[in-house]
Amino acid sequence: MVPPQYYLLLSAAVFCIGVFGLLTRRNALLFLMSVELMLNAANINLVAFSLYWGNVTGQTFTLFTLALAAAEVAVGIGIILVLYRNFDDVDVTNATTMRW
Amino acid sequence: MTPLQTLPEWAATAPAIVLALTGLALLLIDTIDPDSTNNGLLAGTATLGALAAGGIAGWFLIGGTGMESTGGAISLYGDALVVDGMSLFFTLIFTSVAAMVTVASYDYLADEPHQGEFYSLVIFATTGMTLMGMSNSLATVFISLELASLPSYALVAFLKKDRGSIEAGLKYFLIGALSSAVFAFGISLVFAVTGSLVLPEVAASLAEGTELVGVLGLGVLMIAGGFAFKTASVPFHFWAPEAYEGAPAPVSAFLSSASKAAGFAVAFRVFTVAFPLETVTAVGGGSVDWSLLFAVLAVVTMTLGNFAAATQNNVKRMLAYSSIGHAGYALIGLAAITTDGGAANGDVLGASMAHLFVYGFMNTGAFLFIAMVEKWGLGRTFEDYNGIASKAPIAASAMTVFMFSLAGLPPFGGFFSKYALFESAIGSGFWWLAAVGAVNSALSLFYYSRVVKAMWIEEPSKPLEIGSQPVGLYVAIIFAAVGTVLLLPGFQPVIETAQTVAAALF
Repeated sequence: MVPPQYYLLLSAAVFCIGVFGLLTRRNALLFLMSVELMLNAANINLVAFSLYWGNVTGQTFTLFTLALAAAEVAVGIGIILVLYRNFDDVDVTNATTMRW
Repeated sequence: MTPLQTLPEWAATAPAIVLALTGLALLLIDTIDPDSTNNGLLAGTATLGALAAGGIAGWFLIGGTGMESTGGAISLYGDALVVDGMSLFFTLIFTSVAAMVTVASYDYLADEPHQGEFYSLVIFATTGMTLMGMSNSLATVFISLELASLPSYALVAFLKKDRGSIEAGLKYFLIGALSSAVFAFGISLVFAVTGSLVLPEVAASLAEGTELVGVLGLGVLMIAGGFAFKTASVPFHFWAPEAYEGAPAPVSAFLSSASKAAGFAVAFRVFTVAFPLETVTAVGGGSVDWSLLFAVLAVVTMTLGNFAAATQNNVKRMLAYSSIGHAGYALIGLAAITTDGGAANGDVLGASMAHLFVYGFMNTGAFLFIAMVEKWGLGRTFEDYNGIASKAPIAASAMTVFMFSLAGLPPFGGFFSKYALFESAIGSGFWWLAAVGAVNSALSLFYYSRVVKAMWIEEPSKPLEIGSQPVGLYVAIIFAAVGTVLLLPGFQPVIETAQTVAAALF
């Protein structure tokens, strides 16, 4: 069996790629993809440690996480669509009508 | 007296069930005749559903469901949900805020399309918050948190042609998605360390010790980040001013009161049940001291929220920053927990819950007043509020009550809740938290009284034209004002209930 810390390293790497994408991309759709990577990093952990601990709690929860990620994208795409209609762009830095 | 009939155990989740059925009923009503919209029927159904759920929660709370007098907390579905005093107390907050918001929306939405969707989203979000209060497993915590968040994103971006609303919705969604991903990763790390998601089992597993202290610490930190987003605390607070300013004002009221309380409900339970301070400090050798983390966050959140609020010209944005400041006060409930606190822990947590209860009324009322001013088309800055009292004295009086209560002046509910909070913080030995809180309250009086001064003393620069007198908004604002004033004599039972149900967590 692969030692569990390898899974932790893998998921941490995927998570960090997601964070990096989130911080550097201005396109709202790429932002969503980065968030998806971060959620999948959590899923890797859950599935791997489900095996390690010998219960199916983590695997079951992964199914819920996947469903929730899909629901989140559905709402997110809706918001990005109205963003495009109002600002003619999906660049998240363009929408600045309010000052800080 | 022996009970005639004993309700089945699942009936303890009745408030959540009633809310979910109301949400479905709203969609059904909207579907029967999609071409015409009966605003009154929709608003009435939503309000009735929220009041019914709140009534059931109040009845359970008085009857002692899930409390020690009737055999302790009721856990359901393999310990995934637990109904106890705390969940019922918070349900009462969520449902009363939801009822006020749906009544007020009757006027606010009068000329908007998609009303059925609006009310059902509000009710579904309330269902999610109610479930957040009951969650006893990190899985249900995550799912109910998303059930509360996803409708909120859509509600903030509800005005599809208003650029401010869209921008607010986008920022709220982006930061929400980011924080829920961080939260999920935190849960996965805790699962990696403990092998369980059910809160008491997590604590039991931690008590046996672990070698992965670093992973545990990171997991706890990330979970705290998820709560910071939901409660609009530093460091995930920066969505709040944008979202509250851009969103339709009733939605701002809903998010800043109910959604914030929901975040606290779940944070209180997760940190006291799954990561009891004595266990995690024993495991980590003092390195996983979340109480210190929350103390720092509380101070920063309070100070940042109040100082930023003081510099605003826009009343709605000022209230948004003030709600960040209030999140800081409520965080004292977690920050002042100590390993050897005993009863003092329950007191300070209960005082924090009581503050959230009072805050639910006064803050919702304040945002609904802004909704009314928006409805009148008067503008959003302090200058635009000049002389409102001469045209609408009742509403202006109610707003004055909210402002002084939010500032914590003596004759209003907000004074007692802050007093109880700071007193119990001192009782736990955290006098410096209470001191920072008191200084911030004094500062907050400055910007709250600016609103009162504008309304009562200043002369309007141009003649004020107030069109209609929106009935629903008036009802909701007066209800909130009466609630805020009645909490003056009625604060004793609230704080006693809150401290009793909070003590049951330790």
